[in-house]
Amino acid sequence: MCGIIGFLDKKTDGTSPVGNTVLTMLNALACRGPDSAGVALYTGLTNGHTVLRVKLGENGEFAGRRESITERVENLGEILSASTTEEYLRLELDYQGEPKELSALIESEADTVEVVSMGSALEIVKQVGSPENLEETHGVSRITGTHGIGHTRLSTESKVDLSHSQPFWAHGMPDLAVVHNGHITNYHKLRMLYEQHGVRFYTDNDSEVIGVYLADRLSQGMSLQEALTASLDDLDGSFSYLAATRNELGFAKDRFALKPLLFTETDETVVVATEEIAIENAFPGIGGVREAQAKEVQVWRLN
Amino acid sequence: MAAELDCTGKSIREINTGIKEHIANGEKEVLVRNPGARHNLGVALLQPSTVTFDGSVGYFCGGLMDGATVEINGSTGWGLAESMLSGTVIVHGSAGNGAAATIRGGTVVIHKHAAARAGVAMKGGLLLIGGNCGYMAGFMGQRGTIVVCGDVGEAFADSMYETVCYVGGKVEDLGNDAVIEEVGAEDIAFLEATIAEHLPDRLAELKPRLADFKKIESGRRLWNFDKTDWDVWQQVV
Repeated sequence: MCGIIGFLDKKTDGTSPVGNTVLTMLNALACRGPDSAGVALYTGLTNGHTVLRVKLGENGEFAGRRESITERVENLGEILSASTTEEYLRLELDYQGEPKELSALIESEADTVEVVSMGSALEIVKQVGSPENLEETHGVSRITGTHGIGHTRLSTESKVDLSHSQPFWAHGMPDLAVVHNGHITNYHKLRMLYEQHGVRFYTDNDSEVIGVYLADRLSQGMSLQEALTASLDDLDGSFSYLAATRNELGFAKDRFALKPLLFTETDETVVVATEEIAIENAFPGIGGVREAQAKEVQVWRLN
Repeated sequence: MAAELDCTGKSIREINTGIKEHIANGEKEVLVRNPGARHNLGVALLQPSTVTFDGSVGYFCGGLMDGATVEINGSTGWGLAESMLSGTVIVHGSAGNGAAATIRGGTVVIHKHAAARAGVAMKGGLLLIGGNCGYMAGFMGQRGTIVVCGDVGEAFADSMYETVCYVGGKVEDLGNDAVIEEVGAEDIAFLEATIAEHLPDRLAELKPRLADFKKIESGRRLWNFDKTDWDVWQQVV
């Protein structure tokens, strides 16, 4: 049992209070997942800079890594800003190269270093604990933008730490992020297949494979709608998941409709959540809420 | 004038106790404000009374009920009116997974759509859905009636006993042992009376189409094992 939420402001100029909205929704689902909480927010920036959030390590063992990583990165692109909050290093770069090359360079620093998110608009912040902790540590509610997704986790199979928390950035595919409620039962098979093609998995969390799968499909030229639809046949198990790109928000629900997911849409907004209590918390009385049907896929694009 | 109860700042237990206290004090109508889509509201109401939730509710609303009327001015989560014995539940929005599951009697009216597994294992009563319903509705229905004015999802009416279903829209895929029967004059009269009573705003639109509703019942091939019917059983198991 996990809680997932999504929000897209259809008419925003990029200054919608997405952080606050997503957090308000997520707080209502804290009881569905006390292990960890996280958000993927899209800031709507169009300056073409690359924004990275890097996990420097676990358990406070990251002294000196910030300096060492920034030195490495400077060789690839100009660092426009760098800041550290707890175990996160946030970098804004002028970088036009291959995302995989940049993350491989950063992650070669140490095994526990991970690029948690990369993109022109995407910012992922996640950590062990409740959504309230997320706000206290990272001030998520101050982030503005266009859309966002969030997750509260009740771990069932893999360990509880920052990397195993959600949202998952689809490593290598800028701005693609996923949150998932359910179990992917053909995870090991898919993982083996992707590993044979050289894909690195960062966790033992089955949800991670969804991002890898979508990145693979999108890189083959599929649209997000097509990739989500294809996933209904290619992923086994129970799932309701949300996927977001720089300008889209979408969801897919498994063929047996085993996991809850509700949504509503108005002229201004799209809101999606595991339980309506999250929608009510942020948009009281919005109305028109409907549970997604089995095999249902929806994608919304920013105007 | 209905008695009022505001859910703001109250626990689920305080809300449900509050509703029951109003009913015990002889109130015939209770208006519950700001339900906030919370779970387990209005459960086990055992006296005749009308409880109106002025907004969406979460899981299991109206469950284990006997004789009351629950009206929801919004949508509902999973397990609406689950295992109700008698009474009426009216949802003005859409309902989540498993609406009216295992009801033994009473009426559940959903003005918009129902998600997966609506009316599974019903043992009586009426489930009326104004819009569409999802995957596997009516599964193992024992008695009672399901009326869906819109489309139904995959595996509709799978492995039923004596539940009778009517569908006004598309039937994507019938479940195991479900068969489409002829709609007769009695069926049309029943549908007209049912819609006139529970969805009067839809009657003018639906009345000309009632003869096109599909009546779906059990083919009774799964009721008793017959080794000569092995192909049917193989598909089920």
